[in-house]
Amino acid sequence: MRNKKKFSSIINLIVLVVLGSISFFPIYMVVVNSFKSQDQIFNSVLSLPTTFKFSNYTEAFAQINILQALGNSLTVTFIGIIGIVLFGSMAGYKLARTPGKVSNIIFLFFMSSMLIPFHSIMITLTRMANRIGVQGSTVGLGLIYIGLGVSMAIFLSSGFVKTIPKELEEAAKIDGATEIQTFIKIIFPLLSPILVTIGILNLLWIWNDFLLPLLMLTNVNDYTIILSVNTLFGEYNNDWPRILAALVITTIPLVITYIFLQKYILNGIAEGAVKG
Amino acid sequence: MRSKAAIDTIPVTKKKTFVFNKDKGKKITSFLTFLGPAFIFYGIFMLIPLIGAVYYSFTNWNAGSQVVRFVGMSNYVEAFTNDPYFKDSMFLTIKYTAIVVVLQNVLALAIALFIEYRNRTKSLFRTVFFMPNMVSLIISAFMWSFIFSIVLPQLAEYGLGFLDQGWLGNPDVSFYSIIMVAIWRGTGYMMIIYIAALQGVPVHLKEAAIIDGASSFQNFVHVTIPMIMHAITITVFLTLNEAFKVFDVVYGLTGGGPGRSTQVVALNIFEEAFSGNFRYGYANAKSMILFVIILIITIIQVYVMKGKEVEA
Repeated sequence: MRNKKKFSSIINLIVLVVLGSISFFPIYMVVVNSFKSQDQIFNSVLSLPTTFKFSNYTEAFAQINILQALGNSLTVTFIGIIGIVLFGSMAGYKLARTPGKVSNIIFLFFMSSMLIPFHSIMITLTRMANRIGVQGSTVGLGLIYIGLGVSMAIFLSSGFVKTIPKELEEAAKIDGATEIQTFIKIIFPLLSPILVTIGILNLLWIWNDFLLPLLMLTNVNDYTIILSVNTLFGEYNNDWPRILAALVITTIPLVITYIFLQKYILNGIAEGAVKG
Repeated sequence: MRSKAAIDTIPVTKKKTFVFNKDKGKKITSFLTFLGPAFIFYGIFMLIPLIGAVYYSFTNWNAGSQVVRFVGMSNYVEAFTNDPYFKDSMFLTIKYTAIVVVLQNVLALAIALFIEYRNRTKSLFRTVFFMPNMVSLIISAFMWSFIFSIVLPQLAEYGLGFLDQGWLGNPDVSFYSIIMVAIWRGTGYMMIIYIAALQGVPVHLKEAAIIDGASSFQNFVHVTIPMIMHAITITVFLTLNEAFKVFDVVYGLTGGGPGRSTQVVALNIFEEAFSGNFRYGYANAKSMILFVIILIITIIQVYVMKGKEVEA
């Protein structure tokens, strides 16, 4: 019995190591080769770099102005997340606290779009953005994300509000606090677990999104990091050292985020799924 | 089960216990304050474009049109009867979806089960399998372009001849290359959901089954699977939706080529609207068809799978 258990544990480990290696292999290859010259990549892609060619990175930085692109990505993501978290939780709170026919209809109205593929609205959305003058700006792009992401936030936060006892708000009301004060000072902190979940799900979405920025941003100076790398990839199709360096730089912010927020990210995904 | 899919969750209407009709105006003001901002953004960037998309799908709107004319169902008729590229892309997408949904979920569940078995290395393996998900879809496609065009051909020289394929250039192979990348990137996310679900399976149920003489396989089929059915409903729902809308990976890897051999529906719509004919109205009609197909399939999926969920 014990031997059998030990045996299956070893098999288990072997399978995980093999699958894990396959999963990790592409990332490893990209990182290792980002330090090589073009010649080295073409002749011995598997070997470790003999000399580290950091110039790949400086060239990539020069080519696509990565700092600016990172700044743009940060702007878009920041505006999107703040708006989604704040407006979504306000609406979700109000809907959960005033049950009734009107609330039900409004709730359904917000939810009805959750299954609609982005491709169905992309053409008219582009036109709308163009008409009201938010096309071609990072701030405008952030605002668009609020509109696209707020439903999910309303859904998650209204579910969470129902688990918070009403007594606190009633006490605050008796003490003379206005509704807004009550929301900001009492409800908002209590909602923080679900707000973190909402924030993380949206961070992964907005930071990594490709098609919407592609349609909205027209000036190279406004490009997000993803869009910049796309341009680089299109223009220097075979200049692998530079491309690989850019790919690594793009991914680093997310890896750092993962290292610091690992617990919240994994919980956020599981929570978001169970509630969603 | 407490968990509910997005489409069937509606707040329960409770009877009002007290009537506070003193200040109806105040109530409306507070409603507007709290719901207004969300409503404005949602209305401008989601609702109006959506209504517009439905409307324009019945018109001949295109990049050059001065006057947009109402053309009835003719866009829809054309999509179904006179657009072989669209039809091909639809079949390709359905095939893609079927393969990806099955493989991704089976693999994610298997890995989750294997990882649950480990003690000290649990979080290491979780990170290894989840990491690809932190990489943007389009960046994953670029990374794999490098793997397919440079790394695998060189690996093939070490006696692994089967790796010497036209991964991106051969129409018979490139479809599966895309699937590989999609699974590489997406499995980790589903694995996280499965791990969370597996941790929620009550230990006493498994123990009871073991006492009753159930093998570990029987235990898995009759205890674990029913207990994580709600998670399976969700992951299948998510993978199904994502697979039908696949765009970034294909765009980054093959651009739909060689020829149109890997052109999925989303790419076909994109091409129609922005890089081919600039027929916006027609592209909208196609996107509506895609939406309705996704809607029908997910409703059936959720309905069927919800019926199989059990309470602990």
